[in-house]
Amino acid sequence: MGEPGRAGEPIIAVRELRTRFGDAVVHDGVSLDVCEGEIFALAGASGCGKSTLLRELILLHRPDSGSIRVFGRDVSGLGDEQALALRRNWGVLFERGALFGSLTVSENVGLPLREHTRLGDRLIDEIAAVKIALTGLPASAGSKYPSELSGGMRKRAALARAIALDPKLLFLDEPTAGLDPLSAAGFDELVRQLKELLGLTIFMVTHDLDLLWRVADRVAFMVGGRIVGIGTMQELSTSEEPLVREYFYGPRGRGAQEQAWKRR
Amino acid sequence: MDAERRVSPPVAREATLEIEGDVMRLAGAWTVDAAAGVEHWLGGRPRTRLERALGGPDGKERRAGPAEVSIDGSELVALDTAGAWLLQRMVGTLANAGRRPVLTGFRAEHTALLQMVSAPAMRAALPAPAAAPGLLARIGRLAWERIGQGSELLAFIGEVGIAAARSAVRPARIRWRPILYNIRTAGFDALPITGLLIFLMGIVISYQGATQLKRYGANIFVADLVGLSMLRELAPLLTAIIVAGRSGSAYAAQIGTMKVTEEIDALRTVGIPPLDQLVLPKLAALAIALPLLTVYADALGVAGGMVMARGELGVGFSEFADRLQRALYLSDFLVGIGKAPVFAAIISVIGCFQGFQVAGDAESVGHRTTVSVVQSIFLVIVADAIFSVVFLRLGI
Repeated sequence: MGEPGRAGEPIIAVRELRTRFGDAVVHDGVSLDVCEGEIFALAGASGCGKSTLLRELILLHRPDSGSIRVFGRDVSGLGDEQALALRRNWGVLFERGALFGSLTVSENVGLPLREHTRLGDRLIDEIAAVKIALTGLPASAGSKYPSELSGGMRKRAALARAIALDPKLLFLDEPTAGLDPLSAAGFDELVRQLKELLGLTIFMVTHDLDLLWRVADRVAFMVGGRIVGIGTMQELSTSEEPLVREYFYGPRGRGAQEQAWKRR
Repeated sequence: MDAERRVSPPVAREATLEIEGDVMRLAGAWTVDAAAGVEHWLGGRPRTRLERALGGPDGKERRAGPAEVSIDGSELVALDTAGAWLLQRMVGTLANAGRRPVLTGFRAEHTALLQMVSAPAMRAALPAPAAAPGLLARIGRLAWERIGQGSELLAFIGEVGIAAARSAVRPARIRWRPILYNIRTAGFDALPITGLLIFLMGIVISYQGATQLKRYGANIFVADLVGLSMLRELAPLLTAIIVAGRSGSAYAAQIGTMKVTEEIDALRTVGIPPLDQLVLPKLAALAIALPLLTVYADALGVAGGMVMARGELGVGFSEFADRLQRALYLSDFLVGIGKAPVFAAIISVIGCFQGFQVAGDAESVGHRTTVSVVQSIFLVIVADAIFSVVFLRLGI
């Protein structure tokens, strides 16, 4: 079994991926690489197949053909144990948080630790508290239930659970969807900080232009099940591809770009 | 310095903590897996363990030497937050024991991680666990909760009553479509299971009675036995219990899930009272469907009894029917059917009430659904007992 993140090989390598739901073609030959230590964003309009690709990467859905390699391992046809070993090396933040409603925030964060390590209860509680503090939540949030938190706090708590096992790779599904602009901006910062601090590689699915401009190192742009542009935001913004131009030079695209420039 | 070497025993995977005099060396990967090994080695009394390893017997008789302990991290391969926190805890333990830990040789990224977990915000992060309430407090809290639930149920019944009265005054507001839909799901769709169960019940009653009746040669009275017990008690009760399990639970789960997904609030904001839309149609539908189901159950229960009577007692169908006609009065039939609307009201009100009591999460939906079934079956049986006493007094 290869050590995660062997040098030279991309952390995620997708080749010629094809997926269809009945007659609807979701992915029509998708290929992309995510390198170690980068924040990679997958952008595109709603319903273009972004979230399905994410689900395929995290072993929740099987593509029809093509290959997906994560940490240098082909993810198709993995046994339960091998899949578990792979899953332990990544954390996932779901769009709506997906915190377990019957557990407190602290128990939610401690759950992966309790399940997969032999750490003592007290140490697990302490580590959970550290993660909760890391994501910028007040200490009092730990003993609360998810239903008692606001949307932004719930996202942060879900992020704390995603990094509970100190994963090498973090998947974020629409991390800023449903947050107010201020919380969203705070979340941008948080993602950057965590990446620096924990040495994460981040793969995120988003259509938040601010997030793309300010956080993502590289962006792949997906339209109708194909990648039509891939590169840094600077490169994409000078792309000749009409679909990409339309996306980035719409009224909101411009605004986000200007904002990003001002901040620099 | 006596170079006494103590190495922590098999620490998970490759993480090691080596203590030599006043120097602690960390090596290998101090990650979430390895942290468990180090933690187990430190055990419940990390201070004693560390002190002993560093040469001071339980910290009481510390050596006169330098209080400084150097912690060397130059051989660390990997460090994550769990490992960093464990190290931070060790540093804290040493500091509390009067030692002065000095970190040396850590790589820049490891130092950053250590600084992060040692930030004041992190140390204050662990909230004190709430004290478990005593027995008396628990009993008090439980009683208080029950009283609160009871008064809320009363309030709910009142609200439903007012909403029903409003609909009765203005029949144009009655929502016929959901009523018909609910009659189908709660009534028509329940026909097979209700029929099968009550038919079997008829067979069982007849069979149990047969052995006794045969002894006295009173075979023909099996019709009295089956007819009276079915029409007066068993058919209404059994039907109500089946419907409580089938439909009452569905009501609670449906309304509860709608509450979790804020659909109830959405109904209110578009100006549709949730009671009118969700509760009254169910109440009306069940009040119509349950008596009808009971009539059907009467027939099938008696049919089950007839089949068994012919097989076991040699009482033919026509003899049975003939005797049944003389044994039963119209009042027996009406007593059974009359209970059904009351049972229907209990089942629908409890189911809907428990649905509205759902708070927040999926587990709450499951809990309330269970409670709705238990409570409605309980109340149906209690109501049945009250009916029996009242009918006895009235001589019906």
